[in-house]
This record gives sequence, C-alpha cells and structure tokens, in this order.
Amino acid sequence: MKVKQLSLSNRLLFAVSLVLTAFLGLSAFSLNNAFQASADSAQQKQLKNYVYTLLSAAEFGENGFEAMPDKLAEPEFSIPNSGLYAQITTGQEIVWQSGSTIGMFIALPDHPGTSNEHFSKIKLNDDVKLLNLAYGIVWENEQGKNFNYTINVSEDLDTIEQQKADFQRSLWYWLGGTGLMLLIAQWLILRWGLRPLHDVATDLHAIESGDRNRLSQNYPKELNQLTQNINTLLSHEESRRERYKNSLADLAHSLKTPLAVFRGELESSSNITELKRSSNEQLDRISALVDYQLQRASTEGQSSLLAPISLGEIIHKILVSLDKVYQSKNIQGKCEIRHDIFIHADEGDMYELLGNLLENAYKYCNKQVSIFVQSQSNHVVIQIEDDGNGIPSQAQDDIIKRGKRIDTQVEGHGLGLAIASDIVDAYQGEIRLEKSHLGGAKFIIQLPKQ
Amino acid sequence: MRILLVEDETLLREQVTEQLQKQNLTVDAAEDGQEGLFLGLEYPYDVAIIDLGLPKLSGIEVIQKLREAGKEYPVLILTARGRWQDKVEGLESGADDYLVKPFHFEELSARINALARRASGWANATLACGTVTINPTTQEVLNNGIAIDLTAYEYRLLHFLMLHAGEVLSKTELTDHIYEQDRDRDSNVIEVFIKRLRTKLDPDKTVNPIETLRGRGYRLTLPRK
Repeated sequence: MKVKQLSLSNRLLFAVSLVLTAFLGLSAFSLNNAFQASADSAQQKQLKNYVYTLLSAAEFGENGFEAMPDKLAEPEFSIPNSGLYAQITTGQEIVWQSGSTIGMFIALPDHPGTSNEHFSKIKLNDDVKLLNLAYGIVWENEQGKNFNYTINVSEDLDTIEQQKADFQRSLWYWLGGTGLMLLIAQWLILRWGLRPLHDVATDLHAIESGDRNRLSQNYPKELNQLTQNINTLLSHEESRRERYKNSLADLAHSLKTPLAVFRGELESSSNITELKRSSNEQLDRISALVDYQLQRASTEGQSSLLAPISLGEIIHKILVSLDKVYQSKNIQGKCEIRHDIFIHADEGDMYELLGNLLENAYKYCNKQVSIFVQSQSNHVVIQIEDDGNGIPSQAQDDIIKRGKRIDTQVEGHGLGLAIASDIVDAYQGEIRLEKSHLGGAKFIIQLPKQ
Repeated sequence: MRILLVEDETLLREQVTEQLQKQNLTVDAAEDGQEGLFLGLEYPYDVAIIDLGLPKLSGIEVIQKLREAGKEYPVLILTARGRWQDKVEGLESGADDYLVKPFHFEELSARINALARRASGWANATLACGTVTINPTTQEVLNNGIAIDLTAYEYRLLHFLMLHAGEVLSKTELTDHIYEQDRDRDSNVIEVFIKRLRTKLDPDKTVNPIETLRGRGYRLTLPRK
C-alpha cells in the first residue's frame, strides 16, 4: 500500500516546529535553572549581609552580649511579621530577638560552631517557610574569656518563591510568544519560498487544459533548469506531434495517386501482362511511400534532453554490417573519425541517417567509399563519398530539397536520401551534395551537437 | 539446395515456400522461432531465411543460437520495419544479408542464390563447370550451349553438385540437401539420379563428369570456371 506523502510545506513546518519546541524547551529549562541558582545565591548573600549588619550593630561588654540598638539599619527587623527575623543565642538560651519575631516562635536552630555558617530551610507552619542562616561567632573579653554565640537570620521564603514563580511565568510567556511568532514567520516564509513550485503546478495545469503552451520564463534560478527542460520537452513533443500529423496527412494524400492509377488500370486494362506490370509499379510506389512516411513519423528529432551518443560507434557498426552485405563487391572503405565524436541525438535517427547514406554509397560505388567525421565548435561535420557515377547535376538541386515528395525523387537514391534529408531537417542541420574527388557523390552533413 | 524458412505469417510463408519450390529449391518452413531453431540445428541447410519478429523465440535469438551451435550456413533476415538499428542488430548477431518487407520474390531469390554462391566460393550469378552452365534464377541448364532437360530432383542434385564442384559429397549429404524433412528418402535413388545425370551430361561417356569414390560418395570433376 502506498503511504500518502506529506506535502513539502507540511514536512518543513513539522520539522521546524519540532526543532523549535526542543530549542525553546531547553532554553527555558536552562534559563530557569540559572535564575533559580542565582536567586538562591543572592538570597544567601543577603542573609550574610544581615548577619554582618547585626554584628556591627550589637554591643558586647565584659559579660559578652549586652544590647542591640532599637533602630537597626534594616527596618524589617523591627516590623512584626515583616518576613525578616533574627535572633542571637548562646546555644542554651536566646539572648536577643528582633522585633519582627513577636508572636512567632522560632525554634533554636543549629549551632554550626565558631566561624561556621549553615543554611537551612525551616518550616514554621503551613504558611511560613524560612531560609535560615546560622552563623557562629566568638567574643573574647578583656580578661580573655570566650563567649560563643550563634546569630540566626531568617527570611521568609515566600518572597523569593514568589519571585521565582514570576520569573518562570514571564519566561514561559516570552518563549511561548517567540515560538509562536517564529512558527508564523516560518509558515509565511515557506509559503513565500515554495510559491514558485505552486506556480509551476498552476502553469502545468493551464498547459494541460490548453490555456497555455509553455511554462513562463521567470522562475527562480533553482527551478529554471527544470522548467526549461519541461519547456524543451513540450516543444519536442509538439514538433513530433506535428511531424506525426504531417506525415499521416502526407501519407494519406500521396497514397491516393497510386491507388487511383491502380484502380484505373484495373478497370480499363484488358492486357493481363500489362496490368501485372503496372500494378507492380504502383505497389512498389505505395510500399516506398509507406516506408518513407513511417520513417518520417518515427523520427525523434532534436532535443537537448537526449543523452550523447557516439557517432564513431554507430558508423563502425553500420560499416561492419554493410561490409558483410556487400562482401562480394570488395569495397575499400576508408573511415576517418577524429577522436570519438558525441552528439545529443536519438540513436535510432542517427542509425537511419547514416545507414541510408552509407548504404547508398556502398550501392553506387565502384570500389571505394570514404567517410570523414569532424567535430567543429558546435557542429559535427560528416562527409560520405564514393567513386561511383555520381548524381546528374540537374537532379542535384531537387534531390535534397526540403519537403520534396518522395515520388518525384531521383530513382534509387531517392528513398534513402529523402529519409536522410528529413532527419537532417529534424535536427536543424544541413545536407549538401558535391562532386567527390573520387568521382562519385559527396554528401556533406552538418549537425548541431546540442 | 535446401532452404530453411522461418516466418510466422501463414500466407507469406506459404507463398514464399511455393515460389522457392518452383525454383527447384528444397524448402522446410517453420512458423515460430522454436520450431525454426529446432530445424536449423537438426538439418544441414544451404541458406536460412529468418523473419526478425517471430513468436516464442525472436529471429535474433534464433540466429545467435544457430551460430553458437556452430552452424555456418548463410542467413538472410526479413524485417518489416526496415529500421537500420534492427538491420545492424540482425547482422551483428550473425546474419549475412537483410531484406525489407514487402519484397519482390525475384529479389529474395537473387539474394538466396547470391548467399549460397558466396558460401561455396562462386563469384558469378551463373555457375559454370567445364562445358556445363546452370542459371539458378531461370533453372536453365546448358551443356556446350545446348539446353538439357532435367527432372526436378535431377536439377536439385546437379545444382548442389555444381555449388560444391570438386568436393567429395556423401550419399547422405546429397539426400539431405535435396529432400525436405518429411519426404520418404531412399539413398539408392541418389545412385539412379547420378546415373541419369551422367547420361544426360555426357552421352558419349568421354569426360566422366561425376566420379564415384567407393564408400565416400561422389565428386563433380568438371573444373570450375
């Protein structure tokens, strides 16, 4: 079963959305982590700062801690339930509590020991969670007695959690928004980028329905090669169709004369031998017409889409074949092909063209046939000569005239030559007839390489 | 001279067979490639006429298989399309000549005779040995310029002997080349034909035109001209 193929734009859109989601998700995750970490460390720093503030404000005397000023640099210490709390303990008892702790119970936290600090999270009740810093200090009085204290500073986690949540929310809003924008932009870009493809399809449809002949010329350069090839194919097809139509019409037309003659003979002739001779003549003519028009219809003609073929190989094969058929004639063939010459043409056409001309040369020569193939800048020149009697000069003009009707062609040379000349026409080449220095006919054919 | 004809169109096959037989040629006809190949491998032919577009086995394949099996008799291909690519392909596969349909029977006959002559080393259209000449196209036989009257089988025998003048030909070979596949053959008849030919070619018994080599066969002694 054939799976339905996703359209190009759907594929791209799908892939881009996947990549975008992964990218945005990962950035959100890492940004969030970085923010959390920096928020945590900022809070810890803040707590330390509070500790230093308290230390600098506290008064110590002979018996250790004595008092704390009423007004501290941080007003939150004095406002009840402000979210910022502090206490100083000796380990056994609380020596000082900030004003903000009124009505709240803060358990005696841990004692990390002198000059140590310890962060912990304390859950007072369901509503209040605190981040606590326990900081151990030692006070030495003038007598050298040491007093150990632990300063606890706690801050309500709510505020920081709130901040984090706010950040997360805005992060998601922004990233989501950006993602959506990017997707929309992507969709628009795709539409715009794939537009020419859509245009080609529309153009092709118009050709199909007969509204247009060719694809338009202004496509982006990536598509131009394709559309040009399609155009070439179209014109190739068109000229072939034209040739088909013409040769069919020509065939029907040209058959009428021999058929009419044939019928006339049948009705009027009383001499059976004469009738036989004349019907044979007309049958030959009909047969030649059929051959010729069939060949004309099947000529592929010029197209740059055709793969290059080797002329040397074709000529070689034909010569081997003709040598076999004309073995008894003992022909001296001379074949000179400069390098190997390739031409963009249909193999069958080239076989037909060269086969017909070479066979004529073999048929009409005495002993010698010479083939010379040369490549020029954008042409291939083929010369085929023989040492036969040549072609009478008054027939030379007629013989390769374009569109010349076969039944008016010169006897013998006619059919093959008419076919050859038609093929040369189909390739927009040129065929000339000259006198060979060998004595016979010399055909010069020029074919464009492309 | 024995001809193999492989052609799938019944009318054409029958027509050609009839025409060839009128020319005093021995003809075996096959209607498809497989039958053609079987006959071609089984019997010694002088020339094979093979259509390119055959059912079961294409003409090209038949020719290739015949050549692979070492059959060297000349092959003439018939093609309806007349495309050069087909002709070249046919000749490359081992055929010796081609003819495009529709053809004149005279053309076919001339090509067959030419191929047979070429295969046995004759250059001219008429075969001439000593005082005897034979024209395969008209089947006219002259001795010292005087026409002699031969029966169909006598003519076939003489034609084959002349094509291979100077060679020793066994009785079986002679039978094989003058009789169709399904004809009753009796090799003693050959002796009778030879005797009659001797009388007709050499009524005075002076030159002994056909010598008998005991246990080996016969040889036309008249020198090729």
